[in-house]
Amino acid sequence: MDLSYFIFLSSGLFLGWSLGANDAANVFGTAVGTKMLKFRTAATIASLFIIIGAVFGGAGTSRTLVELGSVNELAGAFMVALSAALAVYWMVSNGTPVSTTQAIVGSIVGWNTYSHHITDSAILVKIVSTWVICPILSGILAVCLYFLIKKIMKHSKTHIIRQDLYVRIGLTAACAFGAYALGANNIANVMGVFVDASPFHEVTLGKFSLSGTQILFFIGGLAISSGVFTYSQKIIKTIGNDVMSMSPVIAWIVVISQSLVLFLFASQSLQSFLHSHGLPSLPLVPVSSSQAVIGAVIGIGIAKGGRGIRWSLLGKVALGWITTPVISALFCFIFLFVLENVFNLVVYH
Amino acid sequence: MFQLKISLFSQTKALENKIDLFHDKIIDVAMTFKKAIAVFLKEQRSLEYRKLCKQIKNIEHDADGLRRDIENKLYSQNLIPDLRADVLELVENLDSIINRFDEVAYKFYIERPEFPAEYHSRMKELCEQVSDCAENMAIASRAFFRDFSTVRDYSQKVYFIEAESDLTSGKMKESIFDSDMPLANKLQLSGIISEVADIADIAEDCIDELLIFTIKRDV
Repeated sequence: MDLSYFIFLSSGLFLGWSLGANDAANVFGTAVGTKMLKFRTAATIASLFIIIGAVFGGAGTSRTLVELGSVNELAGAFMVALSAALAVYWMVSNGTPVSTTQAIVGSIVGWNTYSHHITDSAILVKIVSTWVICPILSGILAVCLYFLIKKIMKHSKTHIIRQDLYVRIGLTAACAFGAYALGANNIANVMGVFVDASPFHEVTLGKFSLSGTQILFFIGGLAISSGVFTYSQKIIKTIGNDVMSMSPVIAWIVVISQSLVLFLFASQSLQSFLHSHGLPSLPLVPVSSSQAVIGAVIGIGIAKGGRGIRWSLLGKVALGWITTPVISALFCFIFLFVLENVFNLVVYH
Repeated sequence: MFQLKISLFSQTKALENKIDLFHDKIIDVAMTFKKAIAVFLKEQRSLEYRKLCKQIKNIEHDADGLRRDIENKLYSQNLIPDLRADVLELVENLDSIINRFDEVAYKFYIERPEFPAEYHSRMKELCEQVSDCAENMAIASRAFFRDFSTVRDYSQKVYFIEAESDLTSGKMKESIFDSDMPLANKLQLSGIISEVADIADIAEDCIDELLIFTIKRDV
């Protein structure tokens, strides 16, 4: 196996690390912030399920990204991932709720433009529409869950101590489910562009086998997990004030809503089930967990009468829909030019 | 894993029982106090009254133990982090009601106030009212833990009974100071009446806080 592959893969791993550091806060930040789960417990569960989700559920969303732009040279893939990572870093430092999905999509479009490949507008529209649908769907789910939980709590007359136990169990399960959904949905952002050039072959261990792509996703999952363990605690503490104001029950609703949305946009089996029953299904597209969380929080805020909603966040999200992919595409175009003309590397064929 | 689940549920159940038991203590102390004052008015510092005083002291002692246990478990097991401060304050408030019952009963024992017979029925009425106040406070607090939608109903009862007890104590003091008894006696009886009526005032203050806690408990 060529060592240069791993050098080029490093940008994807860096993107994976930053995704783990940032997006893990969406999965268990509220649980840790409300002191219902210990960081170490939450991080261990999340890391495990991110890897499981990436390896066993990540194929669907990756296919969509490959359809958008089949990056066919390793150096090109390296720069696509690096541009996305740099765009994310730049947007985060400007305080914009950023999505790695939007960054990677922008980068791929940048690569398409540079390499004179035509971007499939139908696929692009499909992806972009999910950016709007994702927070709205998450908000609707959160509102439904909010009223359902409120009703259950009113009628069940569960003791406050028992309720605390149920919420803890619920948050642990939500953490696992959210991490699985995050791994399945977002692994495409991290490793999707490296799939075509993957040197890995199928590995069989008894009855258990992993395809080359799954091995690549496993490595990406490890990168995300390392981000979870090394940096997410800092992110959780930084956004702690926002999180602390949530009750543990609301925290659970938020996590479950965003996890469901990520799962709906990632599950191949759910999509084929809906297709087989003649029902409309959602496209398999990587979506932003941060924006799903914002959608859920705003949804609950509206359900509570609209008090305390930071409407400015919505403006920032909408701004991110435009600026993130544009900046990422620009970065990618410029850096591909540098890579090709300064370092004499082939970035497409 | 299964054992861990059983252990978690049994620990939770044990704490729930302790909280319930703590509320029972308030009802116990209120009933015993009512009985004790009736005995005092009839027999002064009789053996029966001493027994009832001792009973009140024991209830207060048990309640203190339960309070410490509840507080300890809430902190050591890191339970209800969002509501822990409120619950601890509620438990402290309830404990202060129990303590006040004990203090007043002891004050009767020490000071041996002599209530003329014409004030006995009013005094019993006042004790009935403060006991009712404390009991409804306990029921409201219990509802906070299980069925917080009914807290408001019991709170209204506490407010109503507290206002009644204010009227009763006011009327008593008025008629005492209108009477011919020596000023020292008048002041002593007025002081004791205020102490008894204060129990209802403490319950009312607790209810005010409980209503705020209830708003916070709602999702």
